[in-house]
Amino acid sequence: MNDETNVKIEREESVKAGKWLKFRFWLKRFFTNPANIILVVFFVFLAFFIFYPLITLVYDTFAVSSVTETRYGVKMGELTGLWWYRMIASEYNTMYFWKPLGNSMLMSFLASIIAILYGGIVAFFITRTNMKGKSIISMIFVFPYIMPSWTLATFWKNFWQNPDIGSGTGGMVYNLTGLKVPEGMVYGLVPCAIVLGLHYAPFAYILIGGILRNMDANLEEAATILHASRFKIVRRITLPIVLPALMSTFLLVFSSSMSAYAVPQYLGSGRFYVLTTYMKSFLNQGYYGQGYIMGLVMILFGVAILVANQYVTGKRKSFTTVSGKSGQVSYINLGKAKWVVSVILIVLSIFFAVMPLITFALESCCVVAGDYSTLTLQYWISKTPTDAQNGLVGLFFEKQVWRAFGNSLLLSFLCAIIAGSSGVLIGYAVSRRRGTKLAKGVDSLAFLPYLLPSMALGGAFLTMTTIFGIGKSFFILVLVGAIKYLPMASRSGINAMLQLSGEIEEAAVIVGVPWWKRMVRIIFPIQKSTFISGYLLPFTSCMRELSLFVLLVAPSTTLMATLLDEWMLWWPQSANALNLLIIVTVLVINFAVNKLTGASIDKGVGG
Amino acid sequence: MPEIVLKNITKRWGNFVGVDNLSMTIEDRAFITLLGPSGCGKTTTLRMIAGLETPTEGLITIDGVTVFDSDKGINLPPQKRDVGFLFQNYALWPHMTVYKNIAFGLENLKWKKPEIEERVDELCKMLKIEQFKQRYPSELSGGQQQRVAIARTLAPRPKVLFMDEPLSNLDAKLRLEMRTELKRLHVDTDSTFVYVTHDQLEAMTLATKVCLMETGVMQQYDPPLVTYSLPNNLFVADFVGNPTMNFLDAKAERDKNGKLRINMYGIEAEMQTEDVFEMPVKPEGEENAQSDVNVVVGVRPEFLEIGSSGIQAKVHATLPSGMETTVKIAYGEQIFTSVVFGGVDYAVDEQIKVSFRGNGILLFDKFTGKRLCSGALKLAK
Repeated sequence: MNDETNVKIEREESVKAGKWLKFRFWLKRFFTNPANIILVVFFVFLAFFIFYPLITLVYDTFAVSSVTETRYGVKMGELTGLWWYRMIASEYNTMYFWKPLGNSMLMSFLASIIAILYGGIVAFFITRTNMKGKSIISMIFVFPYIMPSWTLATFWKNFWQNPDIGSGTGGMVYNLTGLKVPEGMVYGLVPCAIVLGLHYAPFAYILIGGILRNMDANLEEAATILHASRFKIVRRITLPIVLPALMSTFLLVFSSSMSAYAVPQYLGSGRFYVLTTYMKSFLNQGYYGQGYIMGLVMILFGVAILVANQYVTGKRKSFTTVSGKSGQVSYINLGKAKWVVSVILIVLSIFFAVMPLITFALESCCVVAGDYSTLTLQYWISKTPTDAQNGLVGLFFEKQVWRAFGNSLLLSFLCAIIAGSSGVLIGYAVSRRRGTKLAKGVDSLAFLPYLLPSMALGGAFLTMTTIFGIGKSFFILVLVGAIKYLPMASRSGINAMLQLSGEIEEAAVIVGVPWWKRMVRIIFPIQKSTFISGYLLPFTSCMRELSLFVLLVAPSTTLMATLLDEWMLWWPQSANALNLLIIVTVLVINFAVNKLTGASIDKGVGG
Repeated sequence: MPEIVLKNITKRWGNFVGVDNLSMTIEDRAFITLLGPSGCGKTTTLRMIAGLETPTEGLITIDGVTVFDSDKGINLPPQKRDVGFLFQNYALWPHMTVYKNIAFGLENLKWKKPEIEERVDELCKMLKIEQFKQRYPSELSGGQQQRVAIARTLAPRPKVLFMDEPLSNLDAKLRLEMRTELKRLHVDTDSTFVYVTHDQLEAMTLATKVCLMETGVMQQYDPPLVTYSLPNNLFVADFVGNPTMNFLDAKAERDKNGKLRINMYGIEAEMQTEDVFEMPVKPEGEENAQSDVNVVVGVRPEFLEIGSSGIQAKVHATLPSGMETTVKIAYGEQIFTSVVFGGVDYAVDEQIKVSFRGNGILLFDKFTGKRLCSGALKLAK
């Protein structure tokens, strides 16, 4: 008995003494694995650059940080609850807060419904019927999603505008037919919702179509055998199974629409305000506290939506994707209607994909906006100031344009390189250390920026600029861009790595290939196209991003999208020309990368 | 009575022929297995009978009713063929509970609610899944999902039941159990079963008749034991049976007494058979180094006896499994397989003597692969 206790005590002592040594051994072992180093570095870096701006954002909603704000009788640098009071409880709360919030929600709700109906129906026709011309439709249909979100908004304006409303010029319909549509059709809630809905319809199409295509055809066949009619199968089997995907699409479109800035900015016309546009005007006028409160509310919405999304997709009914072996799905026979359906869909897709480009081209060539009888190329090639009396020369010779063009390209390139490479590394490290707390932590951190609405994230970084004295530099744009697009890249990276079994790398470890060589020569080449889409997505998204950068640009760091934002209200012809230039650039880059690497926009999360 | 007749069924996708001119009759209350390597057209055949796939040409009748006729343009949809179908991956609807999954088909048939409940209870009891009725499929194990799928298929009491590799997603032990249950089920439900599998053992043990297919062509359609002992050709002989049959290239000729002399790699033997056949001759234009080889002798491992007399050979490897022992025998360049009952362990390279036993030895045409005869093989002294 005694002996046993003695032995026990001795052992405990030796354990105590060796603890520190053991810890050191553990630490050494831990950091010999490159995956662990990557995880620790990203964990620290991401935690700082995501949470720090958020904390300063919250802090600034209580702070007095501009001269304008001292007008309310508070002193610069003081802490105050006045902003929260004004937004939530004061007599102005309806105008300042509840009304924009309500508008935002209504607009996003309608946009989601439109996107799901339009995208979902097209997805159904393409995956489940014997319609003709599927490949061409699915190609042009995703066009509006590749183009910047304001494309359709400006198109809408160019198309319906008439002299009685807005800028007072005539649009395409008016010029060709003399028809004047009511103002509510051109500016305000309805057009904003329609345009956003159309913009996100391809996103819904990609998500829902993916589910429909992967859905085991046996599930429907089993119902056929058990005497269910075609209609009943769609209603009782197909729809319920894609319902989680529908809900998830709804939430994602809703959240994207909530943070949309360009569309309500262009089609709100000073009367219809949503959270983003109101936030921008608050910040522009120096009411930082109140603007940041709106940003915070948007972030809360974003997080709430993701939680809801997790709940919807994670329920017990969720389907196990055992893919069936019956590759030959029996398509619904539309009979003669198959031609009608495909003609309608082709016309619709072409209308929303190609018509915008045509109207921009036409508008940019009119002396008097909207008057097609006065065609000119001066907005493109004039070396002297144009007739618009705004001091601008033709687009090709305008210094501002080329500087913005250079800035945009450089910014997109840097963001893509940083986000894409981080995505590859995170993908590697997370998949290698799958199941550990650290890997889970980095995985969620890298996905977190997805929930933060662009505008609010821009706002959060704006609060940070003053503290570090980096101001509105180019660096802050690169930083915010890289962080915002990290989720896309890390998703692609993790997906790519999870498909790759660990043995492939271990086979190289055994023969002593160093880590960097394994990455460059083995892992990257095998999953090349998925990784490259992790670079491509941030690049194209960055090229067409407005709301993320609009708060952070300075005159020297103007981007194409923000330049367009400045021009849009006052100089429609030059703006249209610039718009066309941006869209063409985005499309050219997109297709070039697509052709060169086989990676496409359909892969990855998008958003 | 549900008898299924297929006449000249052909399925083509463009130039690719999936099933080629298949004719067969599936008798009432039979348990048929469609057997063959993957891609041989067995699943396509099953799906065509069920109506999930449309044949390019041919005629199918179920229970005397023509369900498909390419000449008359008849093509009954699956739901009108009164059949049940069990899918390989079960195809349970993930958004419905077990109860709903089973009841769905009955609702479509406009059964009354109490009747549905009664039927679902009955099936759940029979398949021992009563306690899972309110669960969703994702909350069940593979074997339980399998049972739910069976219950769902059986619920409307189909007279014909089609099964597409239903056991291939189960683990080995469960598969064995389910085999027994399926065989019981066949008797209990009193219906016709058509079963697709690539597992020859499954096909042999379950079926009343096995239909063996290769690249869309039916090779043999016989009861399992007939297929085993009298395979129509080399493909069938090779596909059925485990360990596989030994094939020995040989030269066969009749001597002046009319006796059938066989020469296998220098081993002289006499084939004793009552079957009458024509001696195969090398077709014109055929180039072959072994110019005089014209037949293949097929010997099941159990007919290769290791004993005190016979050909001198040595042990290549011994694979004892307890109940039986597989012995790999080396004779010159050739490796043969023999199965000995009980656990016997030979040392590697041990010298042994091998002879042929019984009268189940087969002779195949070297050029066409067709079976010529079966009989006994006696070694020349």
